[in-house]
Amino acid sequence: MREINNNQDRKFIQVDHPSDIGIRFFGNDLEELFENAASGMFSIMCNLQKIAQVDKRNIIIRGNSNIGLDDLLILWLEKLLYVYEVDKMLFSKFRVRRINEKCDGKILEAEILGEKINLEKHEIMTAVKAPTYHMLEVKKDKTGSRWTGQVIFDV
Amino acid sequence: MNGYNIKKISDCKWEIEKNESRGMRVPGIIFADKKLLEHAEEEKTIEQVINVASLPGILKASYAMPDIHYGYGFPIGGVAAIDIDDGVISPGGVGFDISCGVRVLRTNLISSDIKKNLSSIMYGISVSIPRGVGSRGKILVRGSQMRELLTKGVSWAIKQGYGWEEDKYFMEESGCMEGADPDFVSKQAKDRGSDQVGTLGSGNHFLEIQKVSEIYDSKAASILGLEKEQVTIMIHSGSRGLGHQICGDYLKLMQQVSSKYKIELPDRQLACAPVLSPEGKRYYGAMACAANYAMVNRHCLAHWARLSLESILKKSARSLDLGLIYDVSHNIAKFEMYNIDGKDRKVLVHRKGATRAFGPGHRDIPKIYRGVGQPVIVPGDMGSCSYIMLGTEKAAHESFSSTCHGAGRLMSRTKARKRIRGEQLKEELFTKKGIVVVASSMSGLAEEAPQAYKDINNVVNIAHNAGISKKVAKLEPLGVIKG
Repeated sequence: MREINNNQDRKFIQVDHPSDIGIRFFGNDLEELFENAASGMFSIMCNLQKIAQVDKRNIIIRGNSNIGLDDLLILWLEKLLYVYEVDKMLFSKFRVRRINEKCDGKILEAEILGEKINLEKHEIMTAVKAPTYHMLEVKKDKTGSRWTGQVIFDV
Repeated sequence: MNGYNIKKISDCKWEIEKNESRGMRVPGIIFADKKLLEHAEEEKTIEQVINVASLPGILKASYAMPDIHYGYGFPIGGVAAIDIDDGVISPGGVGFDISCGVRVLRTNLISSDIKKNLSSIMYGISVSIPRGVGSRGKILVRGSQMRELLTKGVSWAIKQGYGWEEDKYFMEESGCMEGADPDFVSKQAKDRGSDQVGTLGSGNHFLEIQKVSEIYDSKAASILGLEKEQVTIMIHSGSRGLGHQICGDYLKLMQQVSSKYKIELPDRQLACAPVLSPEGKRYYGAMACAANYAMVNRHCLAHWARLSLESILKKSARSLDLGLIYDVSHNIAKFEMYNIDGKDRKVLVHRKGATRAFGPGHRDIPKIYRGVGQPVIVPGDMGSCSYIMLGTEKAAHESFSSTCHGAGRLMSRTKARKRIRGEQLKEELFTKKGIVVVASSMSGLAEEAPQAYKDINNVVNIAHNAGISKKVAKLEPLGVIKG
């Protein structure tokens, strides 16, 4: 498996996979890490620069207390794919307000900005079907100061 | 050494010896020639075959078909038959696009009949079929209608006036998989599926107008209603967002219960639960709903294609003889009967990118095909060809009645996008081969370029020579619609 740098200032990079597509993403904190994972996922589908930030959605994800951060990441990405598919929207701005761990579970709150899909304007590159658990990662990097993660998508 | 030993059984069959230290409960069997095997080793796909061999209850072997390539969890082209009493059901062994599959319709046209107006036919069909990202189907299905669709499958669509009554007899399970329970399908899955009935989707999904370019078995071809130069229509699509959501929902559930059932796996994407556990039964009920949705989806796509051809050719679909030859699912788990060690046993066969291939005489294939075997549809890439094959008796012993489902990827999508330009590919297919391509996305088209796939002829010949299915006809594309 080889990493492909697509010059996105290392917020995320695409990861080559023999039949599907993956991303590796980075963040100074968990919130930023999750934002960059979302940007990476939508960058597989469309050039983010072409997606105007005109329509807002608020997202709340609740997970059980026994799930890992990688599971929370899957819930987050799946929720974004759900909104994309049901509302027919693409998103390019992700503001994760907080990721908290409480005794009764994990919670993620975010607002996302984008617009309705317009095929005249948005050239779709590869539609993402779902994030997979295959080679899934969310961890601190070697320096211990930054977060990094990886997801392989079914496309 | 790579931590495994490969033993040659024949020129097209290899065994990965069982290695208990790697958790293997059974050996691996790969149907491939030396070159394809080497490619699978380079991609590390063998590791995925070994991982599947560790599933509780797996019987005889972890199989890989000749179009094997690296997937996530299961390899694409992977087959695992599981003991119902002691074994597991795995959503990853079915995949996100539950019951993704292919169908072929015949016509009474020959290729020269449509040569002049091929472009108008392709564009005409392309506007009648919702496709690509963000497309909405022509019908909205909610509430009790959705429940009925998920439970009854193609009979629901026929009742609504889509397709022909006899179509269902040329589908696996007559267009309705038993055991479907919409209560096990989440609201999110139903939401995603509500406006996607009769939509092609994107990626490797397509509608092709083809011609029969070669016949290998004239008796069988005649029973299937195929002859040289005849025009056929092939449709490849699946269960769309509804299936993707069901797979995701149940992967999560099965991760949560794995410790309860003391299941340890080498890849989280293989998450599973005992077949007879409450979680296993719920997944099966939801998966069967997705299978019914997928069959309805392909059925409605064929319906719009028939209407479109009627309007372009000014003849009725009946007078054009646009009957369904067969419809197969290549991402599915099914209960089937096999004779194992002298005993008839019901087992659960997972096929992740593999096609069921029942031989002659099997009661679950349409009566008119029972003398020759179940039609197997193997789509190739858009620049070469596809095949119609038939299931064999031998496949029951060799591969739990399974065979290949396509060519299999050779080049990654990112590599294909870098090396190939969609516009140029479209032009070349037209100028060099006369193939008319209509595509929603040019980079999506580049990912599906012929050079990104293995040689379908080689893949099909291996399946044929291994005896797990046999060639009947080759179909060459005349026009291609991509999502």
